Amino acid sequence: MSERARNLVYIALIVALAATVAVLIAGNPTEEDRVARLGGSIMCPVCQGEAIADSPSDMARDMMDLIEERVAQGATDRQIIDELTAAYGQNILLDPPVSGPTLVLWLAPAGALLAGVGVIAWWRRHPGAPEGSPSAPSSRTRTAVGALILIGSLAAVLVAVTSYLQERDDTTSGLADVQVDDLDEVSNETLEAVIAANQEHPQISGMRLALADRYREEGDYRAAFPHYFAVVESETSAAPEKVAALAGLAWITWDGNGELDTALGLLDRALEIQPGSVPVRFLEGRILHCAGRSDQSERVLEDLLAEPTLPSDWEDAVTSELAAVEAREACA
Amino acid sequence: MLAFLGSAGVAVALVGASLLVVRSTRVARGIGGADLGGPVKLVVAGAVVAMAAMQIALTLDDFSIAYLANNHAMSTPFPFDVATAWAALEGSILLWGMILAGYTWMVFTAYRKAPDRLGAAALAVMGAVAVFFFGLMITVANPFEVCVTAAERGCLASSPFPWAFADAPVDGRGPNPLLQNHIFMAIHPPLLYLGYVGLTAPFAYAIGALAISVPGPEWLRRSQRSTLLAWSFLSLGIVIGGWWAYEVLSWGGYWAWDPVENASFMPWLVATAFLHSALVQQRRGMLQAWNFVLVISAFALTILGTFITRSGTIASVHSFTQSAIGPTLLGFLVLVLVGSFTLLAQRGHLVASAPRIESLVSREGTFLANNLLLTVFAFVVLIGTMFPIILEAITGTRVGVRGPFFNRLSVPLSFLLLLLVGIGPVTPWAGADPGLIWKRIRGPLVAGLAAGVLVAMTVTRNGWVVLAVVLGIFVVGSIGGILFEQAERRRSKTGAGLLASAGKVVKGDARFWSGQLSHVGVVLVALGISFAANLSQHQEVVMAEGDRVTFAGHTITYQAPFQQDVPGKTSTGVRLEVIRPDGSQVTLEPRHNFFPGQPNGVATPAVDTRASGDLYVMLITLEGGVATLELDTSPLMWVLWLGGLTVAAGGFLSYRNRRQERTLVPRETVGV
Amino acid sequence: MKNGIRWVGYGLALAAVAFSVMLATRFGRDPGLVESPLIGKPAPGFELPTLDGGGPVSLADLRGQIVVVNFFASWCLECRLEHADLVASSDNFGPSGVRFVQINYQERPQDSSAWLDEAGRSQHTLYLHDPGSRTAIAYGVFGIPETFFIDPDGTVVGKIIGEADALTIGATIDAIRHGETPGQTVTGNTQQRPDS
Repeated sequence: MSERARNLVYIALIVALAATVAVLIAGNPTEEDRVARLGGSIMCPVCQGEAIADSPSDMARDMMDLIEERVAQGATDRQIIDELTAAYGQNILLDPPVSGPTLVLWLAPAGALLAGVGVIAWWRRHPGAPEGSPSAPSSRTRTAVGALILIGSLAAVLVAVTSYLQERDDTTSGLADVQVDDLDEVSNETLEAVIAANQEHPQISGMRLALADRYREEGDYRAAFPHYFAVVESETSAAPEKVAALAGLAWITWDGNGELDTALGLLDRALEIQPGSVPVRFLEGRILHCAGRSDQSERVLEDLLAEPTLPSDWEDAVTSELAAVEAREACA
Repeated sequence: MLAFLGSAGVAVALVGASLLVVRSTRVARGIGGADLGGPVKLVVAGAVVAMAAMQIALTLDDFSIAYLANNHAMSTPFPFDVATAWAALEGSILLWGMILAGYTWMVFTAYRKAPDRLGAAALAVMGAVAVFFFGLMITVANPFEVCVTAAERGCLASSPFPWAFADAPVDGRGPNPLLQNHIFMAIHPPLLYLGYVGLTAPFAYAIGALAISVPGPEWLRRSQRSTLLAWSFLSLGIVIGGWWAYEVLSWGGYWAWDPVENASFMPWLVATAFLHSALVQQRRGMLQAWNFVLVISAFALTILGTFITRSGTIASVHSFTQSAIGPTLLGFLVLVLVGSFTLLAQRGHLVASAPRIESLVSREGTFLANNLLLTVFAFVVLIGTMFPIILEAITGTRVGVRGPFFNRLSVPLSFLLLLLVGIGPVTPWAGADPGLIWKRIRGPLVAGLAAGVLVAMTVTRNGWVVLAVVLGIFVVGSIGGILFEQAERRRSKTGAGLLASAGKVVKGDARFWSGQLSHVGVVLVALGISFAANLSQHQEVVMAEGDRVTFAGHTITYQAPFQQDVPGKTSTGVRLEVIRPDGSQVTLEPRHNFFPGQPNGVATPAVDTRASGDLYVMLITLEGGVATLELDTSPLMWVLWLGGLTVAAGGFLSYRNRRQERTLVPRETVGV
Repeated sequence: MKNGIRWVGYGLALAAVAFSVMLATRFGRDPGLVESPLIGKPAPGFELPTLDGGGPVSLADLRGQIVVVNFFASWCLECRLEHADLVASSDNFGPSGVRFVQINYQERPQDSSAWLDEAGRSQHTLYLHDPGSRTAIAYGVFGIPETFFIDPDGTVVGKIIGEADALTIGATIDAIRHGETPGQTVTGNTQQRPDS
């Protein structure tokens, strides 16, 4: 057989066989498993990037059951996908759509292929020059460009790392969150819940104190009392917190119950903890004033005023209180 | 005590690596003939001591080391206690360091045999990379931190100072249950790391050559050789990883386009491209600059892979928890990429390759096409993995990119590559007569199509399977064809028998033929994947004791539930009696394994592997004796594993032969 | 060609920097974290049995109050950490028109119930069982704890991902009472499945 005839035989064989294969494949009866296909294109939310069809997790199985049920109910693919994306967002779709922002994803590989073909074509027309060509850039330019790129990239990394650290600081949770700057915006119920849930926390006293002060200002002495009391009793309260709580307690025992001696006793306890405390002594003077013991009040306030280290803002308050006492005005 | 020993080992290795950088830089610049063996030995000794300290600590259950407190338990049995050394972040970096020390030793032995500036420069680069990794081990990923506040199990706070007063828990948390469920998990990471880390050596030669301004054939020869070794391990690691996923992860799959799987696949693709384009440079002096880009990219992709795995930036099955190591690795990646590419740019005038390609219809032409396809493939994997991040950084929108996207693009790319595997080896170098190529492929083409018709008529008419068979037989046919052609020619010259001649042919160009062995492996993988993806069957059944179901020709009887206590774990499962299609019997026991300290079980499938395919049974739930089971058949699964192992075997054989052939003159592989 | 290689080299180096900066922007973010598309939308309805088999309780019956829907399980560490805060919040807000609903997630009702017996319940909270996770799926739960806030009109207006502490819960409710839409707050990690 001549080479030419042999070629013809091969070509005929190849065409015939290829046609047979094509026909056989094309005639393949396809029964589509919609549940499996949909399951393969939905990401399992509790796994990391697996499709729910592939994941053995209970959640993925429950989602597959849901899809199966919806398919049995006659829902379309669109409806099922919409139901799931309404809850989870587009992110759980593993098969990004060939439109919108993900169009880039589909075009990029084609672009890369074209670029590759272009580079090869270009290279075929412009082969390389032999080594040691004269157009080598001066070493100074080279060093400068290199240094520039290195410095630039290191700076970029530095910026990225700092922003990372900042972001991480921002998300630090724990009781740092409990110390909010502006307690005014937080409702009493919230504070109560926070305190109830964190009774054992060593730093809870500050919040109790704030809540108690707020109740006191609102005139709700009944609600304030247990919190002041808890701060005084707590072993983890800081000394200034105890002093403030004792002062608060003193005021509500006097103002609410009229128990002057108990109130003064509480203030004495506060002064034991923090001898010479200006606010406590001022409060003492004030309670005495309100109780009508003007002489004692005057003495306390005068002592306070004689104090060489008295801060100037207190000086004003003490002076005006003293003036009121001396004028025998009723306490405000 | 052991923390001290381990930390000392790391410190010694770090000092050795730093010394190595300094000294070998001097040698490479030609301003000193310092001893490089000392520093290299320090690196190796330090790494070995550190790993030994870790292993001894694991044997002695020394929970004063925080890493053990958090990742080991007294009940962890052999060999998983050994593997615990790399089951978590810090330990995996330790393993990385030790393997890097091994490769540094390998580069050094080559240097010792024939000291030259290139070898010294490569050692300097190896040393610099080692400084980074051992540096990690004393800072952000310290495996020997001492536990200073113990929890009931595990460690709450630790100190990097080995002399810190230790507060050891009574027992540790134990490794992740998934990682102690199968022996493959013990060997998969070391293999993968042997591949990953091995790509440092070719990178070191490339950067070394650029740094001392001596591009040329020498760096390429050494880079190619070391790439071959790393590539073989990487292939093996990827296959074992898939196999492990199949046997353990209970979803019947072996590959999910998970970012971490992608991270190991990208360097593999790029290294594969390099192994081919390196041949073009060797034979034809072309593509030198391109080869630099490939080697640098392969190494950078291994760092990117580690970054992906370790930083928690991308959601993945494999990610370790987030830590400060993320930014550090990213910084290193930037340094590597910017440094390398800037260096390449500055030496650009030296690396331009000389001749132009005469004809695209030539071996180098097919390699060019192969490189284009492999690079586009790697790009597809890269952009698919990274696109969600990139899009979110730019627009704030979140999208998921997984299986469907990758499958849609990788399938056509893989079939094109398979076609090239059939055409490339039969195409002569430097321009070929199309008639010759036609003559060599027409037979295999007919054979492939005939096989396709046969399969379509008897087994399945699924298009993907038929196409895979057609191309597979075509490739094997064309490889067999050139073997036959050369054996014939030899026989007509020497008069020896055909088989003996074929043996002589293979021995005579063992490099080429081990490459072809890998190609056959690729064919098997392609067949295995197409079978598994298109011909498997699934069914979910609920069975009470004594129930019987038939599934894909198997009769499955639920005999009884069981509970089993073995050291280190408790299993509950069901005993199934299976009558196979051929009438033989087997007992399968799908189960849930419970590990101490881990409240929830790990489902472990039972797999009955037969030549015709696997029966895969997974226990989903077992409540009150009623079992929910998922049944799968995957026909011819072993073809996939065998294919993967064959790919790796071809690589190892080629590596061995390359060593033997080093002194021989290169010869033409295929007669023109 | 010579210049080509040089500029390709520099180009690749710059691309690497851009790429890395992009990666760096992701540090410290939870890759599983997604802004819930439910915020601002009508809350998916449910009709679920209570954990002890009573009920059913339907969301529609709770219309007119602020409803706090929390998904929990005993296997979830953060859920244990937040439990005292949820109980305290329900105790404090329950009397004033806020209804707490805790729905168990991927757990048998008896297991959830047994744990609640130990950890304590609030008398104002409804503890429900979610067969087949249908409600969790409808709310797009990625991991627990997740807590949704539904205003009296039945619109989802807030969500806490991670441990819901009393202050965040209270602040969210306070904001809803002021007619604001607090949106999504992330306080920490969530746990996705029993074995993670």
